[in-house]
Amino acid sequence: MSTSTPPQKTLSRIAANRLQKELSEWQINPPAGFKHKVTDNLQRWIIEVHGAPGTLYSGELYQLQVDFPENYPMEAPQVIFIQSPPLHPHIYSNGHICLDILYDSWSPAMTVSSICISILSMLSSATQKARPPDNDRYVRNCRNGRSPKETRWWFHDDKV
Amino acid sequence: MDSEDDMQDAWGGESDGNLSNENEEEDEEVSQSNEPDYGFDDFAADDDINPSSRLPQSNYTILSEADIRQRQDEAINTITNFLSVSKMEAGILLRHFKWSVSKVNDEWFADEESVRKCVGLTATRAENRRRSQTENLKCAICFEMHPLSRMKASPGCGHYFCETCWTGYIHTAINDGPGCLTLRCADPVCGSAIGEDMVLGLVVEEDRLKYKRYLLRSFVEDNRKAKWCPAPGCEYAVELGFVSGAGSYDVVCKCSHNFCWNCLEEAHRPVDCETVARWILKNSAESENMNWILANSKPCPKCKRPIEKNQGCMHITCTPPCKFEFCWLCLGAWTDHGERTGGFYACNRYEAAKQEGVYDEADRRRDMAKNSLERYTHYYERWATNESSRAKAFSDLIQMQAVHIEKLSDKQCQPVSQLKFVTEAWLQIVECRRVLKWTYAYGYYLPNHEHAKRHFFEYLQGEAEAGLERLHQCAEKDLQEFLEGDTWQNNFNDFRTKLAGLTSVTRTYFEKIVRALENGLQDVVQGQGAQGSHVAQGSRRR
Repeated sequence: MSTSTPPQKTLSRIAANRLQKELSEWQINPPAGFKHKVTDNLQRWIIEVHGAPGTLYSGELYQLQVDFPENYPMEAPQVIFIQSPPLHPHIYSNGHICLDILYDSWSPAMTVSSICISILSMLSSATQKARPPDNDRYVRNCRNGRSPKETRWWFHDDKV
Repeated sequence: MDSEDDMQDAWGGESDGNLSNENEEEDEEVSQSNEPDYGFDDFAADDDINPSSRLPQSNYTILSEADIRQRQDEAINTITNFLSVSKMEAGILLRHFKWSVSKVNDEWFADEESVRKCVGLTATRAENRRRSQTENLKCAICFEMHPLSRMKASPGCGHYFCETCWTGYIHTAINDGPGCLTLRCADPVCGSAIGEDMVLGLVVEEDRLKYKRYLLRSFVEDNRKAKWCPAPGCEYAVELGFVSGAGSYDVVCKCSHNFCWNCLEEAHRPVDCETVARWILKNSAESENMNWILANSKPCPKCKRPIEKNQGCMHITCTPPCKFEFCWLCLGAWTDHGERTGGFYACNRYEAAKQEGVYDEADRRRDMAKNSLERYTHYYERWATNESSRAKAFSDLIQMQAVHIEKLSDKQCQPVSQLKFVTEAWLQIVECRRVLKWTYAYGYYLPNHEHAKRHFFEYLQGEAEAGLERLHQCAEKDLQEFLEGDTWQNNFNDFRTKLAGLTSVTRTYFEKIVRALENGLQDVVQGQGAQGSHVAQGSRRR
């Protein structure tokens, strides 16, 4: 499992301010089912995801890694699953997630919290635990630590 | 036009005043000789087969940047008047419908509601109670509190963000590429379009210029009837007066670059675009590269750019501005696909076709291997030689216009306006070299087993070369005498008649060979029919 980060510039002043505020809000009102693991690194958040009760992932625990670019929130953060990613038709075995708001449909008015809610909803609506059909080929193509943000994704499934 | 029998006289250099330099039409009537002709008659039947080759030049317009802006303004004004919308809204609509005024009109009057929704011109506004200027609002992007005076709402939807964040949002979009022209409100669920006024009102000069550049480019790049001239450094665009089909169509830019509108390669008649693409790919020194592209990419079925697929499903979308959606396997439009053709990861149309052997790629590669290097070299060398002759003739032409014409005018006491025939001869030489060059690509791809066609082709090509040689000789050597001679020479008028005659007859011959090759030398196949005698004659001359 690769936890490598793309070469990153340090956060801009605007990005650091916004992240501070986002973190304070998270601490007051975290999204249900998520836990931010405290570190001293504002630019990389590690978040625990608890599978929602009554879904295929009930009782399971996963970890998200969120890396923020220099000019966050104008640019989307890079969000991947680390360690063992959940078996899901839109989650690749290297942790990359096929979810439009992480790429083309990102808006600076979105937050880590809203990303988390979308990811949990994506997990919860799965009807079978499986890897995407092109998993092996995709993962092979990402060997050199390529960021999912460099992938040109296709979002054709609005059900799962 | 019944006969071009005089062709032979001219080729043979036996013209004895038969040739009129006044009028091309006359040329073709002067000598109704009974000598065996060269099969040129048979081309006449095909004159109308390729209409694109007969379109008058006025069917396209060369546009400068100022012309493009004027066209954009005209379109925006038209839409503003017809639809009673603001200029900003007209711009958004036109960009969405690829600058087609009629399309905007049709769609708008068919279903205004859904057009508005689709382009982001929603009439519904965000909650917009009266606010006092001192009220503090939280910007949903930077999470800071700002007095209302420092916040800004998008005019379309009324969503507030602080000015710094709006500016950063628009700046990011502009630096992401031409997608900034269809920018939407930063609110994730809003989708209201952000128009030109708001963008230009907020960003720094550098971004303004970029945005305006994208605006200008969109008129050409999104428009089915316009394309940029591909010559390096040229800033003109070419606008066609009609929607072109798939065939090649030659245009000449104001920068003097002569290119094919369809494939953007240099003008290449009589060879079709597909053959040119294959030939150019073949010539690329990096043959490894070529093999790789052939093996790993497919051209977009619409815009022909090579696309490499490295992951994901079979649903491919070409990069903007093309954005054509197609199936990677069968290269058909994606709109024809869905669950019934096997979903996103398979395509049973392809599977069916493969079983029938339509897509046997192994076969294709074996075929390519058969084309031995030797055969290729033969054609390539001649292609390249003609290209350098063309380039040489072109520089001679420039030299002629810059220096020699004036000198000739002095020596022979002729006004420059009476010496146009010299320039025309050189223009014709340049054009002939270009055509001859491409006949070698044509010959390379002409199937070996079609013996009759091959012989006829080689015969036509040989005649073309000989004819051009005569013209070239006359334009170069004969002219030299008049340039170097010390005094006025009374045979200058004979020279004029000869050169103009050769130019005219060569032009006619080359136009005919171009059409014959474009028609795939059909005469040879149909040659057994009523009109076949001439062709048979031609093809017998091995």
